[in-house]
Amino acid sequence: MSAWMGRRKWFTVTLFLLPTILAILVFNVYPILLNTYVSFTNRNKFRPNPDCEITLTGLLDPLCWPAFRANAPKGLGKPYQLQDPILGNYDKLMGKLFQPDALKSLLWIMIAFVPLLGVRFLNKRQEKSGEEKFSPGMLWLIGILLTVALFFILNIPGSVNKLMQTGDFLAVVIRTVIFVALRVPLTFVLGLILAIILNIEDLKGKTFFRVVLFIPWGASSVAILLALVWQFLFRQQGTINQIISQFGGTGPIWLNNPILAFGVVVLADIWFSYPFFMVSILGALQSVPSELYEAAEVDGAGWWTQLLRITLPLIRPAVVPAAVLTSITAFQMFGTAFAITGGGPQRGAGIPGATEFVMVYAYKQIFQQQNYGTATAFAVLIFIMLFIATLYSLRVTKMTKGAFE
Amino acid sequence: MKRRTKPWVRILQYVILIFAAIFAFYPVWFAILASGRLGDRLYTLNLLGMFIPTQWTFENYRVMLFERPFLTWLTNSLKVASITTIASLIVCTSAAFALSRFRFKGREFFLVFLLAISTFPGLLSLVAIAQLLTALGLYGKHLGLILAYTSGTLVFCTWNLKGYFDTIPIEMEESAMLDGCGPLQAFILIALPLARPALAVTAILGFMAGWGDFVFASVLVPAPDSLKLAVPALYSLANSMSVPWGYFAAGAVIVIIPTIIVYLSMNRYFEGGLTLGGVKG
Repeated sequence: MSAWMGRRKWFTVTLFLLPTILAILVFNVYPILLNTYVSFTNRNKFRPNPDCEITLTGLLDPLCWPAFRANAPKGLGKPYQLQDPILGNYDKLMGKLFQPDALKSLLWIMIAFVPLLGVRFLNKRQEKSGEEKFSPGMLWLIGILLTVALFFILNIPGSVNKLMQTGDFLAVVIRTVIFVALRVPLTFVLGLILAIILNIEDLKGKTFFRVVLFIPWGASSVAILLALVWQFLFRQQGTINQIISQFGGTGPIWLNNPILAFGVVVLADIWFSYPFFMVSILGALQSVPSELYEAAEVDGAGWWTQLLRITLPLIRPAVVPAAVLTSITAFQMFGTAFAITGGGPQRGAGIPGATEFVMVYAYKQIFQQQNYGTATAFAVLIFIMLFIATLYSLRVTKMTKGAFE
Repeated sequence: MKRRTKPWVRILQYVILIFAAIFAFYPVWFAILASGRLGDRLYTLNLLGMFIPTQWTFENYRVMLFERPFLTWLTNSLKVASITTIASLIVCTSAAFALSRFRFKGREFFLVFLLAISTFPGLLSLVAIAQLLTALGLYGKHLGLILAYTSGTLVFCTWNLKGYFDTIPIEMEESAMLDGCGPLQAFILIALPLARPALAVTAILGFMAGWGDFVFASVLVPAPDSLKLAVPALYSLANSMSVPWGYFAAGAVIVIIPTIIVYLSMNRYFEGGLTLGGVKG
């Protein structure tokens, strides 16, 4: 839009962005700075107080600020100091990763993904050159089969296990990545199927189903309370096991079995999150002009072709940001796991539990053990990871290139 | 347009919908059933009682409404959530307008920066935010909570709105500007009404951020009882062994209702009537 130019335009843009910028600076950027600083210190429950004589502490810790110094609550403990060595917290979290054994495991895992990357590369090149020697679907099939083969040949589960023993960081992160990889695609497919059905014009009872299917979304506003309900459903004497016993079987103790507990958390989180996808897709579907489908039908395009060539491309601008942000949210999922399993079942003292995902781990470190130093170092590592993942996904999805630019 | 649908396709669609509906509704239904059961009997031992109310009492509701500060918690939650909704809608729409309708240096950087910054775990900034709010004198007050919630919704809702504004063709606004509107006026008169579905989604998300949060509310407003929000208060109720579970269930059911009402009142914004047809000729 070109009506306001030069200085006027800058003034307008700044004015409209100012509240956002301020809020982001105060509530996002500042906490990150303080966290990063604390991650280099030995702050914990025995050393909760700042030593305001240290320049950086004095600058960053609000307890040291002049306006506040007088009535700052004085804890009993000693002041915290910089760690010696300075990366002590990080070393504790993932130091063992840099031993040859663990690095070898990492290498094996990376090798297992090479076929997929190769297929991607080949397809890109085919696309550029414009001639299709091999069908992309066939290439993907070969790539996936090769990856599965490598998965068993290289004993990837063994390597993953080895990596998870290098410290809390990878143990927690790998588990969370598995969770996200299960949860987000399943949610998307469920949301897409339901949205497409609900978008059919002459479907009877559409309003009823629409209302009922939205319920988990309304309910997810009290996620932590409904997660408790899910926990009760899957207890030893819960509904699920009662149904199983009606058919003469004995249900497992769901929440004591690491894999089953994991599954329960995934299921409950899908329940909470599929309506969001459904609504996003439904909203996007409704702005797809129906003339396109009519034209496609005249040209003899089938349902599948219409889905791939019209529906998916046109809902892409709305869905891709939703998917990226949902992945980030799923990675930081807290309430579901916290209320259902509390991070358990336990696998041993001092080891993160089977459903102790990133945020559950962080919560326990901060609010139960008060290991601020470790927890903030963990946060910084997670931040770096998510930062890179976000930048990468921006490139892949070309999110910043809007549909109508 | 009527497209012919084969009968088996229609049956399959309904089977999917019915299974999804059971999946969607049962946990809430379970809470409703539990809220009508006496004492702390969470489970009935007959299977039937888990699907239909074999016994029903309003005793739990009576206790929650009249013998506990539950109504206060509810009012607090409603207040915090509503103000958060309005604040975040205003802030996000203005940011999304600037980001969608203007091309300026640093625009892409700012968008990416928002996303990148939001990847920092919110729960982990909580210690810093608590300290900051203490320094500002807002710790333990609703205003502090509202500020934290509003800024927590910003990134998501700005991206959401910006993405939606982008799908609204700018040609209509440009033709309005030829007729003498300014860019802002054209945007408000033409693009904003078209963006109602996105605004509704954003409003609901903003409301939920305040309404259902557990961690921020329990850390930033830990006490006294008269300032607590409904969700953390109910959670601690469920966790205290001395309180019958039915009270918790009754409270939880009451908490869900306002959300569903808010949602349903917004529902019509998701209905049709929204096409890009305006660009044609």
